[in-house]
Amino acid sequence: MRGFELVHPGSLADAIGLLDTDDDTVRPFSGGTALMLMMKTGVFRPSRLVHLGRIGDAYSEITASPAGGLRIGAMATLSALEHSPEVIRVAPVVARAMTRLANVRVRNVACVGGNLAHGDPHMDLPPVLAALGGSVSVAGPQGTRDVAVEKLFSGYYETVLGRGELITDVVLPSQRGWSSAYLKCTTRSADDWPALGVAVSLRIEGGAISEARVVVSAATEILTRLTTAESALTGAAADESTFARACEAAAAEAEMVEDARGSADYKTQLLRVYLRRALTQAVQDGAVS
Amino acid sequence: MTIHRPTIDRPMPAGQVGRSVPRLEARQKVTGRADYVHNLVVPRMLYCKVVRSTVPHGRILSIDTSAAEALEGVYRVVTADDIRTVVPNPFYGPAFHDQPVLAVEKVRHVGEPVVAVLAEDPYVAAEAAQLVTVEYEPMEAVFDEIEAMTSTAVVHEVLKPAGTFPDLKHLVGRRDTNIALDYRLRRGDVDAAFAAADHVFAHEFKTQQVMHTPLEPMVSLAEPGEDTLTIHTASQSPSFVRIEIARLLGWPENRVRVKVPHLGGGFGAKLYIKLEALVACLALLVRRPVKWSLTMEEQFYTITKHASTFRIESAVDKEGRVTGRRCEVFWNGGAYADIGPRVTQKSGFTAPGPYDIDNVSIDSYALYTNRPPAGALRGFGIPQLVWAYESHTDLIARGLGLDPVAFRRKNLLRDGRPQATGTPVRDAAIEGVLDDIAARMAWETPFDRGSGPVKRGRGIAVGFKASIAPTTSVAIVNVAADGSANLYLSTVDMGQGSDTAMAQIVAETLTLRTEDVKVVHPDTDVTPYDMATLGSRSTFHAGNAVKLAAEHARDQIAALAASLGLPPGSNYAPADLFKKKYGMQAGNIIGVGTYIPEYKSPAPETGLSDNVTPFWMVGGTGVEIEVDTETGHVRILRMVNACDLGRPLNPKIVETQISGAALMQLGFTMFENMDLDDGQVTNASLADYKIPGMHDVPDQMESVITEAEQKSGPYGAKGVGESATFGVSPAIANAIHDAVGVRLTEMPLTPQAVFRALREAELNSSTTSA
Ligand SMILES: Cc1cc2nc3c(=O)[nH]c(=O)nc-3n(C[C@H](O)[C@H](O)[C@H](O)COP(=O)(O)OP(=O)(O)OC[C@H]3O[C@@H](n4cnc5c(N)ncnc54)[C@H](O)[C@@H]3O)c2cc1C
Repeated sequence: MRGFELVHPGSLADAIGLLDTDDDTVRPFSGGTALMLMMKTGVFRPSRLVHLGRIGDAYSEITASPAGGLRIGAMATLSALEHSPEVIRVAPVVARAMTRLANVRVRNVACVGGNLAHGDPHMDLPPVLAALGGSVSVAGPQGTRDVAVEKLFSGYYETVLGRGELITDVVLPSQRGWSSAYLKCTTRSADDWPALGVAVSLRIEGGAISEARVVVSAATEILTRLTTAESALTGAAADESTFARACEAAAAEAEMVEDARGSADYKTQLLRVYLRRALTQAVQDGAVS
Repeated sequence: MTIHRPTIDRPMPAGQVGRSVPRLEARQKVTGRADYVHNLVVPRMLYCKVVRSTVPHGRILSIDTSAAEALEGVYRVVTADDIRTVVPNPFYGPAFHDQPVLAVEKVRHVGEPVVAVLAEDPYVAAEAAQLVTVEYEPMEAVFDEIEAMTSTAVVHEVLKPAGTFPDLKHLVGRRDTNIALDYRLRRGDVDAAFAAADHVFAHEFKTQQVMHTPLEPMVSLAEPGEDTLTIHTASQSPSFVRIEIARLLGWPENRVRVKVPHLGGGFGAKLYIKLEALVACLALLVRRPVKWSLTMEEQFYTITKHASTFRIESAVDKEGRVTGRRCEVFWNGGAYADIGPRVTQKSGFTAPGPYDIDNVSIDSYALYTNRPPAGALRGFGIPQLVWAYESHTDLIARGLGLDPVAFRRKNLLRDGRPQATGTPVRDAAIEGVLDDIAARMAWETPFDRGSGPVKRGRGIAVGFKASIAPTTSVAIVNVAADGSANLYLSTVDMGQGSDTAMAQIVAETLTLRTEDVKVVHPDTDVTPYDMATLGSRSTFHAGNAVKLAAEHARDQIAALAASLGLPPGSNYAPADLFKKKYGMQAGNIIGVGTYIPEYKSPAPETGLSDNVTPFWMVGGTGVEIEVDTETGHVRILRMVNACDLGRPLNPKIVETQISGAALMQLGFTMFENMDLDDGQVTNASLADYKIPGMHDVPDQMESVITEAEQKSGPYGAKGVGESATFGVSPAIANAIHDAVGVRLTEMPLTPQAVFRALREAELNSSTTSA
């Protein structure tokens, strides 16, 4: 790693201006925890890093909407998510997921925007946000747009973000009436990257599931919504036999990738077990009011 | 985690030995003031970065350094030809002179250093290293230790054992073999024992290649003088570095100075000679100081722990006594021997385990392969052996329907009985360790086996180790005119607490406060010879030398008192004696101690000797675990580690050695694994090679100091740095078997491996019942 330029734009517009280039050695820098790893191993050699720390305090704020949703600034740190009373009230599953994400030092500097934009399928936050129906606000040279978190990833370490585009916020719709859970499974040390992440979000009315979102990550090449599992859940009673059917559907549907954390077959088994446990836990924890 | 403190805390008369003295360097370390080579910068220093081989085995066709040389800021790019101008025969190693300072003509493993780049800026050196291109003609490679026995791929055309070891002489000049050392032991009539056996059990066990992962990666800095060379290095063996560098350069020892400050962990990685040979050559070549610091990633290509295959076979009579045992052990030594041949022999002879078996044969082979080299790692081969023999022992007990603890008791080596080599086992509390674990775990009482998909089980294992012999330690105690004392010693405190323990021995002997003894860190111009800080030898060997040195000083103080006309036993402080003698605060007293235990080398044909080790280390582990049968996850609810370390010099340090060793072995047992693809380590980083973290510590952990005394040790003590590694792996595998009825014979014991075994067992039982 040799010298590079680190710039600190004072506004979002300036940051976008600096990033509006085809030079892929110029990149935004939020917490730097992912970038620094790539720089140290020589995978990424920047010429210029555009630090987003000074684009405005609004981009690190977390606010609850009157309707029961949440707006999270892209520059909010993962620690802020973990401890925010709003997050704990509106989307407790997000705060809980943070406690097993990396370690305190990483969480204190890593930002929500960087976590999403990195495009690493092993991250814990994206599947949770996707299951909650979250979207990101994106600002770029051509203006702003919204992208659902589940549509943000286009490949392994790839996102749909275009030239000069930045994530500015994460928006969660109303969580009232939704029961959610996220389980991560590690197969080596407890603090390893997940071999599998499963996030579920259910709307249960009168004992029956009216809406369901099931998201798998880490074991698949990109974060994936499991629609056949969702269909198996929707309209059925929230009970063991429904969950068993959903788990078999998920196992048939998900395309698992073999790596040092396990074979594809083994990860399929983990999905069967962990999806059932996540569904059970979501029901147990109950709905957000 | 709850840690149960050992109960033994019995200080000696002066109150120093046996006291849990807080570590002398603790404050310096937590305040960031401790010295490490890592932080050392000297004027005109150049940084080195090496270009490493990308192929596992190949002939070097060409090296193009021009682009690197053209990069601004590059001082020099160095190849083996340049090294030869400084050292004509640039091959080093503790057992074999087989390792080139930079690759000569061919490379033998991925990651082998081929070219060195020097620059004032380490980042420039790193960038220039990327610009060097090396062309190779690939050669057939061999990676597996069993294949290496017969493969047509030969890693070294000719064996080059170092002349210093008599037991390697027969290997000189051997060609076209990957067997670096074949150690054999023959005792009794094994064939007859098997012919007469009521039961025969045969199994094969394997371990994987793992790494020491010291958090301070290896680092060395060489500074040339007028006709001297000073090497600052994070080494566990400064005396060996001095001798080996002097040999390479053809210099007398006294012109090479080796200094070692604190180490950020060693675990065997920083032993013998590692980075020192290259920095020495580079510094002399360019006449400037040169520093070489490895990254964590590079350590995976530098030294590792042997992967192994162990075939073990036992003859058992109808009373459940083991009457014969055959052991065949294959050690995957990687591309360079390092200390592998020593592991093969010094550990190999304990392969039958701590059992009283009359008829034994052992064949232990050190093999060259095209993997990164393997050397010593906390346990020196013993954990690989115990993994096999204690898994095997458990399987025999199960096969005979006997309780595993009762079966062990029936066969244990008891005091005075000869071990496989014929050396009688003395001061080895093998039974005491087993009893302590069984008692803590309430082995005789019924055990809750869990319910639903989560099953519970428990397992136990004991192992032992002989100390490497014969080795020498020398110590100097310098009593100043005010009565304060310095201890000069080349033993390296790499975090294990030896400075504190050694100071306690001086303090106890001279009746001082431990905190008032200053330990001078290794500096071969100043501190005397010590073979190396390895194999848990320091407490015993260096400890004995320190005690002798302190006694020598104490005797001289007494003689001084007598010469001044003071009656024996009169209560004069040393300071008063000096003053009386010299008329002022002046002078000093130097006590010197040299220790080498008695030893008889094994007969080459039979491997037998009646005095093969000065002491035995004993360690055992008991675990209670939970297996999630739906996923194969194993959770360790409770782990008890008991060790015989003689009397504890410092109970608190002993306890951390026990828990630390056990946790390190826990990582090797459960998940650590160097993933290799055509000789390339695909997970060579801390992000992808996982070591245990806080959440992997068993819910309940107990460290037990078994009641014992090593009569020949200093104040009854002996080493303990490795003992708690012995039993961990088999205890867990035994517990898995106990919980869910499946046996894993290959480490690591990953959830996937457990799950697969469960599935297979299920399939087998459904096919047999169908
Ligand atoms: C030791 C360690 C352990 C870890 N363990 C875990 C774990 O268990 N689970 C887990 O989920 N994660 C884990 N992580 C990853 C961690 O969560 C991410 O590194 C972190 O979230 C990235 O955020 P950052 O702000 O540091 O990103 P940066 O490193 O600053 O940036 C990451 C990427 O996003 C881009 N970027 C940054 N901000 C924006 C933006 N606003 N808009 C567009 N692009 C942007 C950057 O250009 C870069 O490409 C671990 C990391 C470390 C170092």
